[in-house]
Amino acid sequence: MAVASVSHGGLVSDAHHGEVDQLYVETRELRLQGFMLFLVSDLVLFSSFIFAYLYMRSSGQGWPPPGINRLDVAFAAVNSVILFGSGATMHYALENWKHGNFGKYSGFMVATIILGALFLGGQAYEYTNLIVHDHVTWGGSGIFGASFFTLTGMHGFHVTVGVIYLTILLLQSIHGTYTKEKFFGLTAGTLYWHFVDVIWVALFSIFYLI
Amino acid sequence: MSVAEVHPGGIAGHIHPEPQGFVRRYIFSIDHKIIGIQYLITGFVFFILAGLLAEVIRTQLLHANGGFVSNDTYNEVYSVHGSAMVWLVIIPLITGGFGNVLMPLMIGARDVAFPWLNLLSFWIFPVAGLMLFSSFLMGAPVAGWTEYPPMSLQSGPGTSMWCAAIFLVGVSSTLTGINFVVTMFKMRAPGMTFTRMPLFCWAQLATAPLLMIATTALAAALAALFMERQFGVPFFDPTKGGSPVMWQHMFWFYSHPAVYIMILPVFGMISEIIPTFARKPIFGYKMIAFSSMAIALAGFMVWAHHMFTSGLAPYLQLPFMILTFTIAIPTGVKIFSWTATLWGGKIHYTTSMLFAVGFVALFTLGGITGVLLAAVPFDLHVHGTYFIVAHFHYVLVGGSLMGLFAGMYFWFPKMSGRLLNETLGKWHFWLFFFGFNGTFLPQHWLGMLGMPRRVPIYDPQFQFWNDVSSISSYVMAVAILIFFVNVLYSLRNGKKAGANPWGARTLEWQIPSPPHYYNFKNIPTVYGLPYDFSQPLPYKGLDEELTDSPIAVGGH
Repeated sequence: MAVASVSHGGLVSDAHHGEVDQLYVETRELRLQGFMLFLVSDLVLFSSFIFAYLYMRSSGQGWPPPGINRLDVAFAAVNSVILFGSGATMHYALENWKHGNFGKYSGFMVATIILGALFLGGQAYEYTNLIVHDHVTWGGSGIFGASFFTLTGMHGFHVTVGVIYLTILLLQSIHGTYTKEKFFGLTAGTLYWHFVDVIWVALFSIFYLI
Repeated sequence: MSVAEVHPGGIAGHIHPEPQGFVRRYIFSIDHKIIGIQYLITGFVFFILAGLLAEVIRTQLLHANGGFVSNDTYNEVYSVHGSAMVWLVIIPLITGGFGNVLMPLMIGARDVAFPWLNLLSFWIFPVAGLMLFSSFLMGAPVAGWTEYPPMSLQSGPGTSMWCAAIFLVGVSSTLTGINFVVTMFKMRAPGMTFTRMPLFCWAQLATAPLLMIATTALAAALAALFMERQFGVPFFDPTKGGSPVMWQHMFWFYSHPAVYIMILPVFGMISEIIPTFARKPIFGYKMIAFSSMAIALAGFMVWAHHMFTSGLAPYLQLPFMILTFTIAIPTGVKIFSWTATLWGGKIHYTTSMLFAVGFVALFTLGGITGVLLAAVPFDLHVHGTYFIVAHFHYVLVGGSLMGLFAGMYFWFPKMSGRLLNETLGKWHFWLFFFGFNGTFLPQHWLGMLGMPRRVPIYDPQFQFWNDVSSISSYVMAVAILIFFVNVLYSLRNGKKAGANPWGARTLEWQIPSPPHYYNFKNIPTVYGLPYDFSQPLPYKGLDEELTDSPIAVGGH
């Protein structure tokens, strides 16, 4: 066997637990950095569309374009609070995991998932309102519809993925995949969820506030 | 023996068990060297296809009235030629190919940070390539590799396929970029500080963020174009409130950095080859390393110089022009450093070195026309003419491709264990060098005289130089044929290379050719730069202490 053939080369020594953990620690470092870089490139994807939106918005005459009402800020603000609240519960879920409070962890995870789903429901309601009452559509309302539905849709897709991801993480932790020391999946899930929150801050600002 | 027993000391001590069976070893391998070679093979297959398209273009242009292919087909041919050469040939060959084979070896790692992700990156690439070429079956894109709307909104369904294919290549590049950054940050051998890293790795370190960031920006543009074509979402169609200029911004925000993706790793290869064959320490190590980073950074701030004729506001033209000029400074630093390395060196004219020196000369010419084009008044005159075609072929063929060949002659022995044939190599070089200049030098004049690019027929006054160009392009094709003959011949019959045929000093040459599955039995400790040719090797703890073997071939 090939691995055995290098045994006198120094690769093989007696394994003891501390060294296996060093492998875990180093692997976690790699994954953490890789995951952060993935989020950076995802951020660029959003930034490109945000740039496109701002560019087209600034080169048109007035905003919103003639014939389109301003978006409903009050409703979106409530929906935003729901999403930001889920960021807080996510934070407490991870903190409780680190301190070994499995019960509280599960509670906060469930709360996060429910709040995320509520946000999606709110977004669906908002879309329906826009399409049915205001006749603002993805393809038929010029750059307003194109940029609004593309960007919020991309974000909504990320939230959907996040809700599924967090559900899987919750099931995994019930199943015993993670321990008090080894929980990289939960860290990644938390990072992703905060990332989705931060993107929403930007989208809320550029679509509803300015 | 269980795998867990071979894990002392974290990742540096960790190796995957060597896979058994052909499929796991050579098809779905997670070994960075195999994946790199897979990239090289796939990339060169696409190179042959895209090269044949180039010959179709030149054959059409033999006569002022064309007639070799229909005008519509001609549009498809140059569009796919450009797209394939950029995304399926140059970028994968020098990042996925050479980057994968060499970078982990050079930093003293056992593999990249995420070997399975690497496997995924690679396998996306041939699928995307087949998708791109299959667009011929349904009406290939016709608006050139840049696919400007509104033309790209009106062409056949192949354009949507083009979007999807380029998007997928982009995903592959992004994953490779992430993988490379983490590998270089976290997996360097003990003692290998950033300022002791070989310059090829520095070049990859400058390129990887471009792969990660710029490629994702292109993905957004492609997604928007795809949505507009398939679902009628008005991003770029001005009649529905979109803006065609927006595509140009989004496209060039990626594609200008992409120009540096296509050249920075080659800069890195040249920085390894020249000191080895000049037998001199590289001149200005830190300046070369930092200038790569400067180019990568500045590359994000100059995209609008492609758009001087697109109605860019005059107050924006000036800063973009000046920023573009400044990129010539770090590039000049490199040219200067290579020249200074050659100066007074004991130069060995191997084929690899010929290509490297040819690279410096031809890339400099392409760079100079680039500075000319950055000047707004000149650009307005030659925009969209053959001058542009000549400029970027000097950079991409005279630059990237020449450097790629230099790298092939240099590192082929490390990958295969055998040297490429030097006689065939010299034929390859000289035919390629003259063929290349014969093809693209006259195109500067054609462009200055006003011959537009992307036309299937042209004014008869341009006939003579077009014929020179076309006939020279056949010479180039012969040269490339010789290269492939050489590769196939040398794989079986080439001279045995040994561990270090060139007497080079970076880490990959201190282990057998081809390297073991696990690269290094013991991870060495690094004590200095790899370029001090008069000093003992700066490594401790290599399993086999290989002495500098005398140079195997060439050299007078």
